[in-house]
Amino acid sequence: MKQCVRLMMLAILGVPSVASAVDLGVDSTTLIRLEERSVPGFSKEQVYPATQFLGIDLDKLGDGNLSFHLYGWGRLDLADKSTDEGTTDADLSYAYLAYRFPQADAQVKLGRFFVYEGVAAEQVDGVSARTDLTHGFAVSLFGGAPVKLDLTGDNKGDYVVGGRLAYRLPGLLELGASALREGGITTGESTDLKDYRQLVGGDIWLAPFKIMEIRGHSNYNTATSGFAEHSYLLQVYPVRPLTIVAEYNDYRLKDYFATTNLRSLFNPDRDETLRSYGGSITYVVAKPLEVTADYKRINYHRADRGNTNRFGGEVRLTLADRKVRTGLSYHRADSAQSANSYHEVRGYVMYRTTKYSASIDAIGHFYDEKVLGARDTDYEVLGSLGYHILENLAISGDLGYGRNPWYDKELRGVLRLTYNFNYSSKGAAK
Amino acid sequence: MRRVKLFFFLVAVLGLATVTACTKVISSESSLPSWHPEALPEGRADCTECHEDTVKGVLKPYASFSHSTVFIKNHRYYAGQDNRLCAVCHKPSFCNDCHANELEVKPSVMHGDRPDREMIHRGDYLSRHQIDGKIDPTSCFRCHGRTNNEQCVACHR
Repeated sequence: MKQCVRLMMLAILGVPSVASAVDLGVDSTTLIRLEERSVPGFSKEQVYPATQFLGIDLDKLGDGNLSFHLYGWGRLDLADKSTDEGTTDADLSYAYLAYRFPQADAQVKLGRFFVYEGVAAEQVDGVSARTDLTHGFAVSLFGGAPVKLDLTGDNKGDYVVGGRLAYRLPGLLELGASALREGGITTGESTDLKDYRQLVGGDIWLAPFKIMEIRGHSNYNTATSGFAEHSYLLQVYPVRPLTIVAEYNDYRLKDYFATTNLRSLFNPDRDETLRSYGGSITYVVAKPLEVTADYKRINYHRADRGNTNRFGGEVRLTLADRKVRTGLSYHRADSAQSANSYHEVRGYVMYRTTKYSASIDAIGHFYDEKVLGARDTDYEVLGSLGYHILENLAISGDLGYGRNPWYDKELRGVLRLTYNFNYSSKGAAK
Repeated sequence: MRRVKLFFFLVAVLGLATVTACTKVISSESSLPSWHPEALPEGRADCTECHEDTVKGVLKPYASFSHSTVFIKNHRYYAGQDNRLCAVCHKPSFCNDCHANELEVKPSVMHGDRPDREMIHRGDYLSRHQIDGKIDPTSCFRCHGRTNNEQCVACHR
């Protein structure tokens, strides 16, 4: 937490020195949750956490190519504790300076930021750089300290570095090769893992025909010497309103879960595999009406778990120039173990204009066996009303009621105040 | 003193060589705009309503990035290759609604007024998570395996 505050102060104090005619964006959301939880045999709990989310974007700093971005949240419990931790909490999601070059999509970032590049999906305190090269190549690199959690930071390293090299043929192919190394990991007592995490991977996008795309990646864990993941997606558009998708995923959990910081949950010591495959068909009947049917077979090679068929369908309808949006869906998880089988039904309708918004959302689950030995159904109905006080200032409130195996009654309210300020020195506002 | 001069001479030569190499190696194509120049209508964006051909720099068809149901459900494949294109329309905080090191509230609670958006863990997920986790733990791991698992620790110590 102290590290977060220090980083934020450093970043904010550094900005004015390079600021000239800047563009400023402020996104603020205040949430006050009002929850009453009733567990049979226990006294009722009243939980009123107030959370402030704040995002700041400063663009056109310095020579116009420099920008600063910050986002974080802080919470204060106004009644009973909302979590097992203290009555307050906060997190700085990102705070970084970015310099975008006018050519080659080159960019340098400094501070706390997220990296999504090939095998890397990391939150880092450090530096990153990327650029397009000639002849269809592109390269990106990052390095720094992985951002740790307050409670479960015991399996994150002292440093993390990585990068991705890509090659593209216009409109036909992209091939990527990426790598990541995290060092100085505290592996704990009950593991024979090395003190580092290493991944290398390859990714592909291929469009051999205008109506077909293949996307996917394979990741190899060099610390455990095994393929962690193969995930591939085939999309075919035989005619414009129809999309057919096939997917294939293959995981070796020893290599995929190797460096989890939740070993009690993701136990990599068991040498198991999980393979899933399936697909979906989406048909746009008319512009406002879309129908999707999907199926997925999950083969979990573990004696006490077994295989599962997931299937279902969804209808989405958009009317009145997108002001009215509705959806209805049904899905079934049909598992080898009846305790892991259930039906899901959901329906919603939403009306949204520049001034008002209103919605009702209902979801229910029907389990083949009682959950916790208490109840074999759960449901929640959520209603929401909103009003734009000013163009950039809106207030909305949600009220939800549900019953489930944990609570014989769960009443939940949310008050939401959103404020979006954009100042542009010239041109269109962000 | 001679060694210092030699060192600076070598640094200067190496620097010059690097700059020369970069000008030959780095693409001279102009960058993507920092932000989509026009406001987009509400709802799922269809890039092909205004754009044709391929996205400059990214070198893929605009149609690939139209926010269809398929795109939204499989956006992890797109983000791993083309996140700079995502950033033309989305601030990083948009991703943070679901993907963060430490998430304060369920996305479906934060955006309870937007039932049309694809939000995971709707309704009573406390009951359902133990079933979904047994059916396919890899689906949990992507978000909760190394980050965003402070709530998990309350029970799974």
